[in-house]
Amino acid sequence: MSIFGKSIVELTRLVQEKKIGKRELFEYFKKRIVKYNPNLNAFLTLPEYKEHVNHSSLLGIPLAIKDNFCTKNTRTTASSKVLDDFIPPYESTVTQKLLNEGVSILGKTNMDAWAHGNSTETSDYGPTRNPWNINRSPGGSSGGSAAAVSAYLSPAAIGSETAGSIRQPASWCGIVGIKPTYGRVSRYGVVAMGSSLDSPGPLTLTVEDSAYILKILAGKDPYDATSSPVPVQDYPSIMKQKKKFTIGFSDEYFEGVNEEIKTKILAALDIFRRLGHTTKKIKLISPKYAISVYTIIQRAEVSSNLARYDGIRFGNDRRSFGSEAKRRLMFGAYTLSYGYYDAYYKKAQKVRTLIIEDFKRVFSEVDAIVAPTCPITALKLGEFKKYPFFGEIMDVLNEPGAVAGLPAINIPVGLDSSSLPIGLQIMGKSFDEGSILNLAYQFEKETEFFGIIKKGLEKYKDE
Amino acid sequence: MKRILNKDEIKHLGNLSGIQLTDAEIETYKKQLSETLDYMENINELRTENVPPTSNVSNLENVFFHDGGENKRGLAQNEALSNAKQKKDGQFQVKRIL
Repeated sequence: MSIFGKSIVELTRLVQEKKIGKRELFEYFKKRIVKYNPNLNAFLTLPEYKEHVNHSSLLGIPLAIKDNFCTKNTRTTASSKVLDDFIPPYESTVTQKLLNEGVSILGKTNMDAWAHGNSTETSDYGPTRNPWNINRSPGGSSGGSAAAVSAYLSPAAIGSETAGSIRQPASWCGIVGIKPTYGRVSRYGVVAMGSSLDSPGPLTLTVEDSAYILKILAGKDPYDATSSPVPVQDYPSIMKQKKKFTIGFSDEYFEGVNEEIKTKILAALDIFRRLGHTTKKIKLISPKYAISVYTIIQRAEVSSNLARYDGIRFGNDRRSFGSEAKRRLMFGAYTLSYGYYDAYYKKAQKVRTLIIEDFKRVFSEVDAIVAPTCPITALKLGEFKKYPFFGEIMDVLNEPGAVAGLPAINIPVGLDSSSLPIGLQIMGKSFDEGSILNLAYQFEKETEFFGIIKKGLEKYKDE
Repeated sequence: MKRILNKDEIKHLGNLSGIQLTDAEIETYKKQLSETLDYMENINELRTENVPPTSNVSNLENVFFHDGGENKRGLAQNEALSNAKQKKDGQFQVKRIL
């Protein structure tokens, strides 16, 4: 019975039909991690196997969890030395929901420290390497999760996104990743970065897997006051409905984008047309303004959220902060300080309103927006140092949707001339994850993502 | 309005953020933060008179936890203390204030 490359949906069927044991499945991935992780550094902590007795929908499925989700009694570091020895006494809502469904926590994955970054290089535990080319970054901040899935060290993973941190590593690693609408998934137990932005979500090998996992994660949580009471759609069934959509695309989202990426996105739009969807050119506020809005608001929220790390109740003191954290703390303090609050923070919040209204206007004409996920493909490790605010520049195409709280999904649509994955994003209306999953699923069924995911797995076979 | 931060401002920001900075760090951060601030200026190209600020994209209001409702997630004292490096008599130990 070959397990290699199977999706969550396929694996749950095999477990239910007793063709593989739960423990056997866990040990299978553990063995692969022992073999391949030293080279990739995707995982930081590997807990022991825990037996589950509930007969639930994901019984026996092991999952990789980004290390900013508090997992009770299992070390959680957010890839920072400040939390090097932190053992949470409580479970995040996301991991609790997964445990309730019978999931086994396979391991905690590497990330940019505090999720500050887009390459997993600000981790205090060394960078994660891109399985497609180990001299390159997997993207970030959910780089460990993306690399783990891309190399099949885990059949799927949980990540989180403030602006780009799910979509961009999914793009650079050639897999599927969905950032839900802000408020769709509870942030309780997630190490906070930007409280008005953070959105937990899955990274998977298939669109269907993302739909299943999202359905489990989504929903109002009385312990997260920002979580939404909007009813959760039945994503797996909406995904399969025979629907036709109007898809918008905007020139502003192609500016500064690598030519090879542009070509693949335009080719994807042709495919959507062939499938019977309508495409329409739309005009949107240039994403360059969203870089500033996002940088100011996020860093202000970061400066507030990281104030709690004083080493008194848990963790090490503030001397353990890395340089990127210090940079963001000080920048955030500046834009919130007396004399500068109006010019920066308040102004950014007003431009945020403009961006939200701009999307509302466009979504009265179209059902979804297609764009490149990232202007470039995976960078070589170390290159991020050239940029003063690397993370925010790299996520230019993700920030507008993120500050508006909108959902978006990344799917792989090609490889560039260096054999690096190219990602396309489909952005949707608030709480309309169903439509973007549906479009992504149609694309997947039509193209099988051009064999990209299979190709990515070739270097990581069992022996 | 090109904002170039000076050494004293960086030191002040370090204090506000509760972090200690070496002289070399002050120099590096001065340059990096100034470059970042410089880019932020582009928000002034967009007009926002009469535009209200957004702090909460979900527009939820007055979300309360039911008073007297069961708190399933309270921590027992020993759980709350489990990660503290300095504790005494079931309490967190801090630096002397008075």
